[in-house]
Amino acid sequence: MTVAPPLELSDVTKEYDGGGELVRALVDVDLRVDRGEFVSVVGPSGSGKSTMLNTLGLLDVPTTGTVRVDGRDATTMTDPERTDARKEYVGFVFQQFFLIPSLTALENVLLPTEFHDDPGADERAQALLERVGLGDRLDHTPNELSGGQKQRVAIARALVNDPAVVLADEPTGNLDQETGQTVLGEFERITDRDVAVVTVTHDPLVADYADRTVRLVDGRLTEEGGVGGRASQGDGADRPLSEGDG
Amino acid sequence: MSRLPAVRLAVRNLNRNRVRSVLAALGIVIGVLAIATLGVFGNVLQLAATDSFGGIGNQVVVSPNADAGVESFSERDLQTIRRAAEGHGVAVPLVTGGGLVRANDSSTAAQLYGTNDPAALFDASAGTIPPRLRSGVLVGSAVAESLGVGVGSTVEIDGNRYRVVAVLAPAEDISPVTPDRAVVLPTDEFVDGTPSQVVVQADSREDANAVATEIRERANAREQRLSVFELSSIVDRIGDFFDLLNGFLVALAALSLVVAGVAIFNVMLMSTNERRGEIGVLRAVGVRKRDVLRTLVVEAALLGVLGGVVGLCLSVVAVWALYQFTTLGLDVVAHPSNLPYLLLAFGFGVTVALVSGLYPAWKAANLHPVEALRG
Repeated sequence: MTVAPPLELSDVTKEYDGGGELVRALVDVDLRVDRGEFVSVVGPSGSGKSTMLNTLGLLDVPTTGTVRVDGRDATTMTDPERTDARKEYVGFVFQQFFLIPSLTALENVLLPTEFHDDPGADERAQALLERVGLGDRLDHTPNELSGGQKQRVAIARALVNDPAVVLADEPTGNLDQETGQTVLGEFERITDRDVAVVTVTHDPLVADYADRTVRLVDGRLTEEGGVGGRASQGDGADRPLSEGDG
Repeated sequence: MSRLPAVRLAVRNLNRNRVRSVLAALGIVIGVLAIATLGVFGNVLQLAATDSFGGIGNQVVVSPNADAGVESFSERDLQTIRRAAEGHGVAVPLVTGGGLVRANDSSTAAQLYGTNDPAALFDASAGTIPPRLRSGVLVGSAVAESLGVGVGSTVEIDGNRYRVVAVLAPAEDISPVTPDRAVVLPTDEFVDGTPSQVVVQADSREDANAVATEIRERANAREQRLSVFELSSIVDRIGDFFDLLNGFLVALAALSLVVAGVAIFNVMLMSTNERRGEIGVLRAVGVRKRDVLRTLVVEAALLGVLGGVVGLCLSVVAVWALYQFTTLGLDVVAHPSNLPYLLLAFGFGVTVALVSGLYPAWKAANLHPVEALRG
């Protein structure tokens, strides 16, 4: 297959200074996210899950290695270029929803389209809210919505710019199990439309919905059953998380 | 979807915490009100003062210098004065004296002026002042009132009877030639018809100054023949003083705007801190730094514009009240020279708000999205 994957990490290492000590949050990570794929990233706290998601989402730059967006190297992009690439390829869903309280559901969904000319945005946003079952809540503000409804607004917001990948950080973390399941069902439907979903989560339930699950331990990625994919198992898996060489 | 997303978002953000926004704008309101009102009040004061000094500033009174032994004008003196006044105003020789004026069985003491050209110096409140006074007299308002005479009446001075041609308008400003207690006669009616002073009615203060300088240079080159009395330079100094006073008032008021700037700075810093997460989301979903910056700067600018407009409205009310409750005229209160103070106040208010909002906005826009989202 010659089609470039929407997002790809190659040999990515991320180090940062954690209070005078060099922390290696990601070590030689390879991950390829294909269209329509639902990837679940699991792992204990502090294993580098969020760092990986931020790197995938072009919010963070790796110390070494390459991040490719649709085949283009994102590590050499300028900040505005990365911002534009985020708008084009990536949608975000957060544990805390991060909806703007003074805006209605529809306005929140439209937020990513506000700063550029996008004539079809209004219809698209409405259609998305209808798709996630909130067609009758367009003019409700976030505090008039339940947690599950808020997260569905956030999903609609993540999809409004037609991204190739939706990145979700603990999307079910603030929801009860039943509501979490409806949200995961939503993600599953997204993948049917050829949009990839990557979640990082503690929630074991997510694995039931994911096409494949990868595990991050001490910044190293290992494939955990599932189908397809080509996650790296890394080499020298016995190396400790931080090696005081900085 | 909208051409001004930054403005729309900014308006909604300000609406979110209305009390805080209003309080921040209130600082600008007070600052703009203070600058505009104090500026206009100072300017009105200056205009009013210049108005009442106007007459004195435009006149030059020349008389023979008795201290130097000069008792009367020579023909050359008069010519010098006339030449100096040429192009700057009118030179009116005045014969002066005092006398008792009688009419209707009462009498009053009056200052007597003799001139054939009274129209240059005096205004009439009743009747008209003839271009050349040949017969009859002009009566000052105080004299007319105490004798109960008007236009057409007859008054008696030193046994001669004269018809009243006009009653002079009461003096509105300070002037060396006071018309209220005066009677103006033709020069021929005086036994000694030589003028004791020449009044130059100049077109402006600058003209008065020029005339006085020239007379001093020409007539007093060798000896101090003439004493030249003119107040234009003093009036100028008074004007300078008012300029200074105005400067002080406006500077004092500007201080309050600086305080308002600090308030806006604080409010913007607080509200951007509270919205870290949101700003992180904006950046994550592909909103560029400069768009975030623009939205936040617009917020600060809106506070400034809002405060500025309200402050201007209030200061217009204050100036209107000044007009209502004082004797100041509309020509002074609504003088165009007040406008710059209003514009200055508004401009300064908006600028202070913008500058105060700039740092918090810049800081928020440059926040790393990952950091912002961690909160």
